[in-house]
Amino acid sequence: MLHALLLACVTLAGCEAHPGARARVTVFAASSLTEAFAEIEREFERAHPGVDVSVTFAGSQVLRLQIEQGARADVFASANPSHIRALEDARLIHDIERFALNELVVIVPPENPAKIQAVEELGRAERLVIGDRHVPVGHYTDAMLDRIDRRRGGGFARDVRGSVVSREGNTRLVRAKVELGEADAAVVYKTDALASERVRSIEIPAPLNERAEYMIGLGVEERAGEHALAARFRDFVTSPRGQRVLAEHGFLTRGD
Amino acid sequence: MRARGLSSLPAVVLAAALVGLLLVPFVALVASSSIEDWRAGVAHPMFAPALRLSAWTSISSVLVILLAGTPLAWWIATSRSRIARIVEVLVELPIIVPPAVVGVALLQVFGRSGLLGDLGLGLAFTSAAVIVAQIVVAAPFFVQAAASAFREVDQDAVLVARSLGATREVAFLRVALPMASPGLITGASLAWARALGEFGATLLFAGNLTGVTQTLPLAVFSALEADVRLAVVFASVLAGVGVVLLLGLRGLPALIAGRSR
Repeated sequence: MLHALLLACVTLAGCEAHPGARARVTVFAASSLTEAFAEIEREFERAHPGVDVSVTFAGSQVLRLQIEQGARADVFASANPSHIRALEDARLIHDIERFALNELVVIVPPENPAKIQAVEELGRAERLVIGDRHVPVGHYTDAMLDRIDRRRGGGFARDVRGSVVSREGNTRLVRAKVELGEADAAVVYKTDALASERVRSIEIPAPLNERAEYMIGLGVEERAGEHALAARFRDFVTSPRGQRVLAEHGFLTRGD
Repeated sequence: MRARGLSSLPAVVLAAALVGLLLVPFVALVASSSIEDWRAGVAHPMFAPALRLSAWTSISSVLVILLAGTPLAWWIATSRSRIARIVEVLVELPIIVPPAVVGVALLQVFGRSGLLGDLGLGLAFTSAAVIVAQIVVAAPFFVQAAASAFREVDQDAVLVARSLGATREVAFLRVALPMASPGLITGASLAWARALGEFGATLLFAGNLTGVTQTLPLAVFSALEADVRLAVVFASVLAGVGVVLLLGLRGLPALIAGRSR
């Protein structure tokens, strides 16, 4: 019933759109895309006068839940393939494709109290903060720790997990704990580290690292005019111009 | 004198609509999960530690609030000084300020580089931080209710007790406290419920680690990322505990009144 009600509101709102009003594209994007998509939004609007792009940022799982419950998203950009694929299976999102990759980095406060220079030294941290195992960043962090453990042995993953004091619900909360000086180290996406001036990042070598796949898809929408605009926005993201913006914010793009 | 119920139709409709708005979401919450969801939810490794942590931290918080909040409320209720009026307003600050702000503010005090953190009193990421966060957000509810309960206490009765040789403490414990007890219990139940549901300040100040700082509301948040059905079960348990708490503590004053009669 909730679904029907939401759908009714959406339909009504759609009917009220006046011919003279600005065309609107609603984009749902993973929170790690915050800075990059804000810039893409500006560039897209500059290239398409009269079009208003409104972007909602949240964890991919939360956005998926909202779309499942009837929220209208013309475009969905997910930090994790599983969520967008589930929506594709439910016929709520279609035409999905990969548009960027993200890597993990270790971040430390500028004064680096635990004197960590490499990912192998993560065990030195007295207080380590990582992502919750149910959110993509935490899932990738666990996979990365296990991979290093398999190579190095000696209880590396166990030691590191022993110094974890908190598993946060999204990458921005993880980063905030280092920015506030509460944690000696944390593991976040490279893009989160680049977007903050209050953390120092330590790269993780490619053979040990995990890559997060970012996928973008279109919402199922009856009104063709808006749908064409949504497709144009997606194409902008995957175009050389959009890819350049993403690369500037630390994402790996098609060129990489 | 008792009100004879609502007479006008609009009033009934409005009141019923509000009751519906307050209750229907919870009925829908519980109704939306199946027996299998419950079995999976209760067996989930996050559930038992979170329930245990929520129980003992919220009980600890309420005990601290009762112990320190009662004398504070008495002072606020009986003092005529201007400072008491100012303090009365200021202790309500955590009700107005969003919990997330309380969490950040607590970090500025008890964080590693906070005011007291420098003295080695850093609490972030510990169960003690969970309790401190709960005390800060919940205490105002108790102090407010207790102060208005103490205001209703007949000061003449206290004076009579004093004139009959009772010390200040005895007069307070034997006369004022029993007279104010229904209001104190209401305040305590509000504070407990608020402590049990505390989320924002805990998330920022205490973090999220199973068995250490992940209370039931934080487990709901974590479960939301994993499996919505799990989150629904956790949330239902939290709502259920709240209802039992509220009914139990609301029933208590009537029980006490009935026995003393």
